[in-house]
Amino acid sequence: MTASRLFELIIALLYLAGSISYPLGLALRRPALKRIAAWTSAAAFGLHTVDLGLRFMEVGAANLQHGQFYMSLMAWFFVLIFFMLWWKLKHDFLSMITAPLALILFSSSLAVRTQVLAVPEHFSVLWFSLHVGTIFVSLALIAMAFGAGLAYLHLERLIKTKAKLPGFSKELPSLETFDKANHWAVSIGFPLYSISVLAGFLWASFTWKKVISWDPKELITIVIWALFALLFHQRMVLGWRGRKPAKTAIILFILCLVSLVGVNFLLPSHHSFRQ
Amino acid sequence: MNQEIYLVGLNHKTAGVDIRERFALSDCDPAAAGLVSDGGAVSEAMILSTCNRVEFLVVGSRDADMRAKILRFWADHCAQPVADLHSHTYCHAGEEAVNHLFTVASSLDSMILGEPQILGQLKTAYRKAVEKGAARVIVNRLLHKAFSVAKRVRTETAIASSAVSISYAAVELARKIFTDLTNHRALLVGAGEMAELAATHLLSAGVRDITVVNRTLAKGEELARQFKGRAMPFEELHQALLETDIVISSTGSPTAIIRAKDMKEVLRKRRHRPIFFIDIAVPRDIDPDINGLDNVYLYDIDDLKEVVEENLAGRQQEAQKARGIVAEEVSAFMRWRDGLELQPTIVALLDQGEGIARRELRKSIKQLGPDPDPQTVAIMERLAKSLCHKIYHEPISYLKRRSQEEGSAQRFIHNARRMFNLDEEAVPEDAHLDRKIQSGGK
Repeated sequence: MTASRLFELIIALLYLAGSISYPLGLALRRPALKRIAAWTSAAAFGLHTVDLGLRFMEVGAANLQHGQFYMSLMAWFFVLIFFMLWWKLKHDFLSMITAPLALILFSSSLAVRTQVLAVPEHFSVLWFSLHVGTIFVSLALIAMAFGAGLAYLHLERLIKTKAKLPGFSKELPSLETFDKANHWAVSIGFPLYSISVLAGFLWASFTWKKVISWDPKELITIVIWALFALLFHQRMVLGWRGRKPAKTAIILFILCLVSLVGVNFLLPSHHSFRQ
Repeated sequence: MNQEIYLVGLNHKTAGVDIRERFALSDCDPAAAGLVSDGGAVSEAMILSTCNRVEFLVVGSRDADMRAKILRFWADHCAQPVADLHSHTYCHAGEEAVNHLFTVASSLDSMILGEPQILGQLKTAYRKAVEKGAARVIVNRLLHKAFSVAKRVRTETAIASSAVSISYAAVELARKIFTDLTNHRALLVGAGEMAELAATHLLSAGVRDITVVNRTLAKGEELARQFKGRAMPFEELHQALLETDIVISSTGSPTAIIRAKDMKEVLRKRRHRPIFFIDIAVPRDIDPDINGLDNVYLYDIDDLKEVVEENLAGRQQEAQKARGIVAEEVSAFMRWRDGLELQPTIVALLDQGEGIARRELRKSIKQLGPDPDPQTVAIMERLAKSLCHKIYHEPISYLKRRSQEEGSAQRFIHNARRMFNLDEEAVPEDAHLDRKIQSGGK
């Protein structure tokens, strides 16, 4: 156990190094530091993959009953999705949020030592991947929109107030870039999130014979979905751009965090990872 | 070694424009004009002549009064009295000359700190010197280093990363709002010198096209032709605002021509696509309140001036950092130059040989097994050492013979150092610029 614990600690430290060195490289204008950040994050991701693989070989499908495994898997998924987004969008700012997010999720997976989760009967891999896979991707997209939203608001304030653009902000991409990230997150993320929610409710209706059980997780999910739907509608139909979608995405991500951390760990719910 | 590097010249700080005009040397070939000659005191020369400076970079004999010699050549060539030059020129030798050249190349000596034109001018001057055969070992190396120092300064400091002219500041701001200017159109409302300059900058930054809206359509059409754009009558201003994303306004109108309440309607029709207004008119053309609207950005002339002033102050700070880089590179260059002496080269050669011998010996001894016979080891050691000395003997004695001859010593030592890679350096991309020019010219 200690060996695997040590292994996980190394992964967390590598993510930490990545999270620190990238903004540092930006601030100090050292391209070498940025490269180091990329390499440490890549190394962390590689080890992380190995770690997940080992775990899966060790316990197999039973892993799916551990909250810890979910968090770790989610962190891994985030990095993977962000890497693909980076490939597609080629925007450096993604590097700024990837490593910290992976760090937070991964280390919270280390912090929780949960008991076996009561996975509902009729547990089917298909439903599971539909419900969990889509939620992972859409959460990653919301996280990206969150990062892009913060950067947008920061840069927009600088431009609007005609403040001096310090060296750090000079390296930031344009407002349009951040807005495009939001556009991507909304146009892909919302359908995926809807699928996930739908799959969850259907699954619940098969398992518990009722669509909604007034579980805290379900309630907050409905709130998130409604807000997401509003954002999707305003953006796609009314052509919202800039500040408003950026702010909405930030609220959305905070709600997701509340739902993820608060509900799964603190409140009694059948999504709970608690003992 | 009797060769020294000299830098003699004048610049915008030491001489007024009248002097600079009279002593400009835009088309002077130092070889043909007799400054550089095989038997003479000057073995290499390069002349840099721009509107802000005229400088001679010369490698020549230490014994001659190089400053007087160059000034005389210079004054004769310009047919001006040499006395006029004396009080306006500086003369640096050795390390100081190298430092000055690197400082100039990094645009730390430019009138506007960090403006990069000087690098291009320096490259042209160097190319000319190479074509005329006036640049050899030292000038070649010196200029290659100067270019790489300039590159280092540009990448490692923020000295040239901010705009210091109003029209360029506008372009830079546009880049902070839009990712790719080629997807956006610009609109010119009214004409005026500064507006046209900003439009030119925008076009060269890649803006898709320029639309001109003017009170008198004929004038607008004329301007549009100049930018290969289109003109629209003034009444269609709001239509034009729907189709363009960057608006430069400079009309003589006494009241605002674009008001916040009109803009709301325009924005809805634009589906909230961002729009950037640059108002360089006084009195202002655009209601300042529109800056408060989402997805609308407005900069007026004072805002832009402020940006420029801040950027200039920022450059001063960065210049400190850049000077540190220059100093570092100067001492690296001086180390290389000292290495052109014979004795250190011989030592470096033998060191290299012995190093190789030692490494190979260690590998071979390992192959002998865990407990090698001491006698065999001793024999192998002798073999390695004498092989190394015998192999290096011929090149060394050749170098010694050549260095007796005045003039060619440095070339041979330099070649030997490169052949054996004694300075262990990566070959820069433009290392063979001189050769490429020569073969390209044929």
